[in-house]
Amino acid sequence: MIAYEHGTTLFHRLDPRSKLVAQFGFAFAAVTTTEPSVVAVLSLVALGTLAVARLSVFRVLWTYRFVLVLLALGPLFASLRFGPPWLALEHAPPSLLAGYQVVLVLFVSAAYVRTTPVRETRAAIQRHVPGRAGQLLGTGVGLVFRFFPVVLRDVRRARLALRARGGDELSTRERIQRLSLLTVEQAFSRGERLALALRARCFSWNPTLPRLAFGRADYPLVAAGLLLTGLGFVQVLGLPAAGSLPV
Amino acid sequence: MTEQYESVELVGDNTVQYFAMAVVVAALTAALAQFTVPYPFSPAPFTLQTVGVYLAGLLLGPLWGALSLLLYAMVGAAGAPVFAGFGAGFGVITGPTGGYILSFPIAAGIIGALVHRRVDPRALDSVSVPIQVVGMLVGLAVIYAIGSVWLAASTDQSLVTGLIEGGVVFVPGDLLKAVAVISLVTGGHLARISFVE
Repeated sequence: MIAYEHGTTLFHRLDPRSKLVAQFGFAFAAVTTTEPSVVAVLSLVALGTLAVARLSVFRVLWTYRFVLVLLALGPLFASLRFGPPWLALEHAPPSLLAGYQVVLVLFVSAAYVRTTPVRETRAAIQRHVPGRAGQLLGTGVGLVFRFFPVVLRDVRRARLALRARGGDELSTRERIQRLSLLTVEQAFSRGERLALALRARCFSWNPTLPRLAFGRADYPLVAAGLLLTGLGFVQVLGLPAAGSLPV
Repeated sequence: MTEQYESVELVGDNTVQYFAMAVVVAALTAALAQFTVPYPFSPAPFTLQTVGVYLAGLLLGPLWGALSLLLYAMVGAAGAPVFAGFGAGFGVITGPTGGYILSFPIAAGIIGALVHRRVDPRALDSVSVPIQVVGMLVGLAVIYAIGSVWLAASTDQSLVTGLIEGGVVFVPGDLLKAVAVISLVTGGHLARISFVE
């Protein structure tokens, strides 16, 4: 599992907004390209990002093993044909390439997760998503992050209690039913208390927002993100220069 | 130093109530996503996430149900390990299973719209059971449709094989979950714990 870890790397010091722009640009460029040269350059960028964030490739691959299994089966499913000759292997390489592009995005987003606390992303959302929606989304992200471990513990406890009372004898349907009922009841009583607590603390539409500021290193990163987004658009629109663009 | 005088604009009581419930349903969906049931027919993990989607639509209505699942997706993208198998990050959303995550807010909104037919959720015992069941099945269809198309696109395969790998194999498991939630509905359990008077 990869989560935020305190550290002193370059990425830890950057503003979350510049990291978000760069991450989005990278993902857009990576999933839209079909040029081997672009894929090669982006691979180097992804590996460099992991190195700066002090993350090992194997740790990232292990964290996303579910996704990888699905990606590995992609070429197999892509080659299936419903009729003779049943297998069309020429469809496998494009599928493999598509899967590899997803892995590159996973590398970069793992570096973001490792170096950016959720409260910074929350601050970015609250500042830049306009109006009341931004306030609710920002506060909501912070609160869900806080409540996730608590509710997870509730669900585990409910499952343990169910098992202790012979729940394993029940059918899957009944187990799902009882587990959902128990956990929803608990979650709702937590929700009631949360609502009360929010009102008691004067939950308002215009709170004082956490401070965010761009540093010197943020500007080149934003520029890189915008460039990559531009490259993505060029690739999507199929402009002829896509392959020969300097990256 | 300049001083700033601004009045505090409090959030209304009803909004606070719905918002708090949306937050806990998002957290609940995240918790249910961690309960992976081994599933023989597909490599994608079979989790109880969709139970969270059904509950969000049924209990919170279209607006707050959709907000709840949108919060779930955003918290995951921001780096909290809330996706299946404690996954996190924007990369999961662009990955093969990202379509499911993005379809959740839409499905919750559609379930809520069909069941409640207005923004504020109604008490569930005032909505007929068949409508609730139809709402959940339509929501499930939306999840499959978006999820499978996304899966097919992200691994560059045809729609048909994408539908098989990402949709059809899950039908038995998801119907089981839907049946379990429907029996909560028909047993009156959900109406009992529904927080709307």
